[in-house]
Amino acid sequence: MVVLSGARWLRCRLTDRFWRVQEVLKYARHFRGRKNRCYKLAVRSVRRAFVKSTKARREKKRFLRALWITRIGAASLEHGLKYPSFISNLLKSQVELNRKVIADLAIYEPKTFKSLAALAQRRRQEGFLAALGDGKEPEGIFSRIVHRQY
Amino acid sequence: MCCVCSGSRGTGAMTSRGSPSRFLTSVLHNGVGRYVRQLQRLQLLFSPTAADARGARQFVEEVAVDFARKHPDVVLYVRPCSNPTPVLVAEYLNGTVREELITSKTSEEILQLATKLAGQSGLDIIRIRKPFHTDNPSIQGQWHPLTNKPSILTVRGPRLQAQ
Repeated sequence: MVVLSGARWLRCRLTDRFWRVQEVLKYARHFRGRKNRCYKLAVRSVRRAFVKSTKARREKKRFLRALWITRIGAASLEHGLKYPSFISNLLKSQVELNRKVIADLAIYEPKTFKSLAALAQRRRQEGFLAALGDGKEPEGIFSRIVHRQY
Repeated sequence: MCCVCSGSRGTGAMTSRGSPSRFLTSVLHNGVGRYVRQLQRLQLLFSPTAADARGARQFVEEVAVDFARKHPDVVLYVRPCSNPTPVLVAEYLNGTVREELITSKTSEEILQLATKLAGQSGLDIIRIRKPFHTDNPSIQGQWHPLTNKPSILTVRGPRLQAQ
């Protein structure tokens, strides 16, 4: 017998309310106050937390880049250079390391960073000589541009 | 605020403190010396008559023996029994047990799933904080505040004081 609509006087009890509530509360356990215990308050806080975590992924990239720049600036100041001149002279010497790698080098390989700072300083001097020296000194070694062989 | 969408939240949300996270590791530095497959056994539980276990039955008939030959260190148990849903249970050397439902999957899909499980280690599938890991991050010595200072600041001892 085909039944097109179920009997409307049937009632069914919700039996897994506990687990449905726990699904939300498990993300709220480290919150402060009643919103880590009470479902009604937790639902709102958990939803806002998810939204914030989604939006923060874009901010995280900016934040980390700013952190790397601060660290590179502090490390290059130890070697007598400021961050803008360090980065620009490295780029002019065709050293294309990104800020994350240079920051890691500054922390874990301080001698390598010192040599990078020395390279940037020398390129800076060569730049000054080329601009102010009026052609009497020979062209600097680190100012030569290496073109790709392929 | 309306309720968070319940039901199919299988993968879990990616809040940093709300959900668990771990660092990238391998089980006991697997692969540095010998590579040991971390999958211990695969149990295929299916019913011999149900309609949704058809893919599982085809897998057992056609492909399971080849799979077992290709992965000699994995023990494959095939169990026809009257459980309601066909299930592929993977147990790993560190004790993790992972159950995958294979209802209404074709035998190629089950083979793909089994190969994927065979390649996994039993570590939790949660957010990995960094996609890299080293035990020795520093070769030249990690920076400390006295790294780039003149060494007179670090030298101590009776020889210095005598001068």
